[in-house]
Amino acid sequence: MPDSLTGRRRSVLHETRCQTCSLSSLCLPLALEVQDMDQFDAIIRRRAPLKKGETLFRQDSPFTSVYAVRSGSLKQVTTEGSGDDQLTNFYLPSELVGLDGIDEERYPGTVVALETTTVCEIPFDRLDTLSESLPELRGQLYRSMSKELRDDRRMMRLLSRKTADQRLASFFTSLSDRFRRRGYSPYSFRLSMSRADIGNYLGLAVETVSRILGRFQSQGLVEVSGREVHILNLESLIQVAEEEGAH
Amino acid sequence: MPVHAKLTDRAGPSWVTGSRPPMRLHDHDGSHYLTYPAPEHFLPEVGPEALEQALRERRAEAPLALHVRLPFCRQACRFCASQRVPSRDSRQAEPYLSRLDREMVLLRRLLDEVPPVEHLHWGGGAPSFLSLNQMGDLFDRLDARFGLSGARRRDFSIEVDPREADVFTLRHLQALGFNRLSLGVQELDLRVQRAVNRVQPRVLTESLVDEAERLGFHSLNLDLIVGLPLQTPRGFGETLDQVIAMAPARITLHRYTHLPHRYRPQQEIRAEDLPDAASRLAILGEARERLEAAGYLHIGLGQFARPDDSLALALAEGRLARDLQGYTSHPPMDQLGLGVAAISRVGTTLTRNARQLGDYEAALDASRLPVADGLRPSTEERLRAAAIEALACRRELDLTALSREHGCDAAGLLAEDLRRLAPLCEAGLLERRGERLTLTPDGEWGLTRLMAAFDPDAAPMP
Repeated sequence: MPDSLTGRRRSVLHETRCQTCSLSSLCLPLALEVQDMDQFDAIIRRRAPLKKGETLFRQDSPFTSVYAVRSGSLKQVTTEGSGDDQLTNFYLPSELVGLDGIDEERYPGTVVALETTTVCEIPFDRLDTLSESLPELRGQLYRSMSKELRDDRRMMRLLSRKTADQRLASFFTSLSDRFRRRGYSPYSFRLSMSRADIGNYLGLAVETVSRILGRFQSQGLVEVSGREVHILNLESLIQVAEEEGAH
Repeated sequence: MPVHAKLTDRAGPSWVTGSRPPMRLHDHDGSHYLTYPAPEHFLPEVGPEALEQALRERRAEAPLALHVRLPFCRQACRFCASQRVPSRDSRQAEPYLSRLDREMVLLRRLLDEVPPVEHLHWGGGAPSFLSLNQMGDLFDRLDARFGLSGARRRDFSIEVDPREADVFTLRHLQALGFNRLSLGVQELDLRVQRAVNRVQPRVLTESLVDEAERLGFHSLNLDLIVGLPLQTPRGFGETLDQVIAMAPARITLHRYTHLPHRYRPQQEIRAEDLPDAASRLAILGEARERLEAAGYLHIGLGQFARPDDSLALALAEGRLARDLQGYTSHPPMDQLGLGVAAISRVGTTLTRNARQLGDYEAALDASRLPVADGLRPSTEERLRAAAIEALACRRELDLTALSREHGCDAAGLLAEDLRRLAPLCEAGLLERRGERLTLTPDGEWGLTRLMAAFDPDAAPMP
C-alpha cells in the first residue's frame, strides 16, 4: 500500500466505508484511485440491514438507485400479467441490483432479501454525474452491465435447451464460481434460496429439483444437507452442465 | 360369383371403385392380433402357475421388458375401450401403487438374474395423472425390484395425456429416465371433442411437442382416432394438417369401434352421430393422402412414421417386430405386464391380470399373482401367430421358412387359412408365388383382413 494511503486513513467511526469494505476490489469502486474513492463514498447511502423476506423495492416502483449487495443475498421476482411469479435473478455480495431499471425508470421486478442482508444504496443520478468526471467508475459500471447481459444470455440458453440435470448442475457450478470470485470456498456454501425458488428459477418442478439433487448425491457429485451444499466432484458436475445431446 | 364383383356391386362413391381394389377393404374393424389368440380366448384355467412356470423356465440372461398399466384418469372419454379407474385425486392412486409394488416383489422372486431392464412402458389410463412424486416413487420401486438400465439405448416410454401434463411434467419424466413419449390427441375438432367428452385445446399438445423436442425425447408419437361421432372428412383433414404441422416422428390412426354393450362409456355416444361407412372411408382416404404427401411412411395398421424414424428404418431393414403395445424397432423379448388387466408374454405363454381393480387388489393382498386367465398356445396357434407376425412386420409370408422354424408342414396345417386368403389374393391384396405370399401396396391397407384369415374364430368378412 502506498504511503499516501496510510496518511490519509481516517479513524473508522463505522466500518461501512468503501476503502475498508472487503468487496471494494469487486464492487464499483474497483478501478478508482484512492483519492477518488472519497467522492464515490460520499454519494453512497448505507441502509439498515434487511430482514429475511423484506422487500428492497417493488416491481414498477420508480427507479432511483442501484444497490450494491454488501452481505447476504436477494432474489428478483417478476409478476407476469397472469399473476404467476417468475424468479429471474439471485444477487450475491458485490453484485449490483437495479441496473435493469435504468432505461424505463421503473424497477422491472420486486427484489426481496433471502436472509439478513445489507446493501449500499447508490442514487443513480449522482452516480451518473460522478461517472462523467471519473471515467474509471463509468468503465466499471459498463463492465457490470455487460456482465449482467452475458449472464442473462447464459440463462436463456440454459432454459431453452437444457435438461433438468444440466440446469441444476449449471446452477451449482455458477454459484460455485461466484463464491470463488468473492474469496469464498467454491466447494462449500450455503443456499439462501429454497428448493421451490431454485425450481422456479430453473423452470423445474420442486419435485424434479429434489429428485436430481438426490441423484447427484448418489452419484457422489454433491453432498447436500438442508441448505448446506458440498461439491464433491466439481469437474464432473461441470461436465454434466455442459453435456449436449439426447439422453 | 367372384368376390371382387360382389364388392363392386355395392353402392358407393364412384372413386371408391377405381382401378385399385375398393377402399372398403381398407376399413375393416379387425383386430390387430397383438396376441394370437386374442385375449377374448384366454382361459381362466391358465392362471398364476402358468406364469410362474414360464418365468422359471426363462434363460437368466434373457432380456426382459416391463410394462405397467396405470388405469387412472380424471374424465371418462366416451370412446374408451380400456379398463379404467375413474379418479379425481392422485392420492387415490396410492393403494394401487403399493399393490404394484407387491406384484413386483412376487414376480421378482420367480426370476433368477435379470439383466438391467432396457425396455419400460407406462400406459393406462393416463399415467400422467400421477403426481410427480408418485411417478418418481414408482420408478424407484421398479428400479429397486428389477434394476432399470441407464444405458443410452434404453427405451423408456410413457403415454401422456396433454390435459394432465405440462412442461414441468416432461422435465420430471426426463429426469427420471424416460426417453420416449406418446401423446393422446384423438381429434382437434372441438365439436367432436365435445361429443366424446375430451375437450383438449391444441395448444396443450403443441407446447408438449415443443418441449419433448427440446428435451430430446425420441420418436414422439401422436394418437388420433378415426370414426368418432360428428367426425367429417374435412374436419379430420384439418386435424391431420395441424398434427402434421407439429411434425411428430410418429402418428397413429386408431379406429373407433362402437361396442356400447361391451364398453359402458361408449353408451354415451349417439350412434346416429357416428360417420357412416362411406364417410369413414373418405376420412381414411383424406388421411392417407395427407400423410403420404407429408412424407410419412405407412408402417402398418394405422401406424405412420417419418422415414428417419426407428420404425421406418426397422421396416426397411427387415427387422420390424411387434410387442404387446404395437410395432417396435426392438427385437422380440419376454414381456411382463404389471397392473390391472395387464398382459404378459413369457416364452410362448400368455397371461392376463384380473380386469377388475377389486380382484387385482384381492389377489395381491393374499400374496398371489393377480393372473386371471391366459393361454399356452398350441403348435397350430403358434404357427398362426407367426404367420400373422410375418404379414404385419415383413409384409410377406414364406411358408417354407415357417415350416422350417416350427418344424412342421406349415402349408398343410394352415390349409384352411390359406383357403380363406384366396379371395383376398384375387382382390389384389396379396400375391402368391409358390410358397411365398407377398403383400401388395394395397394389401398394406387391408392388413386386418389378411390377419383375420388366420383366425378361424374371426367374424366372416363383409
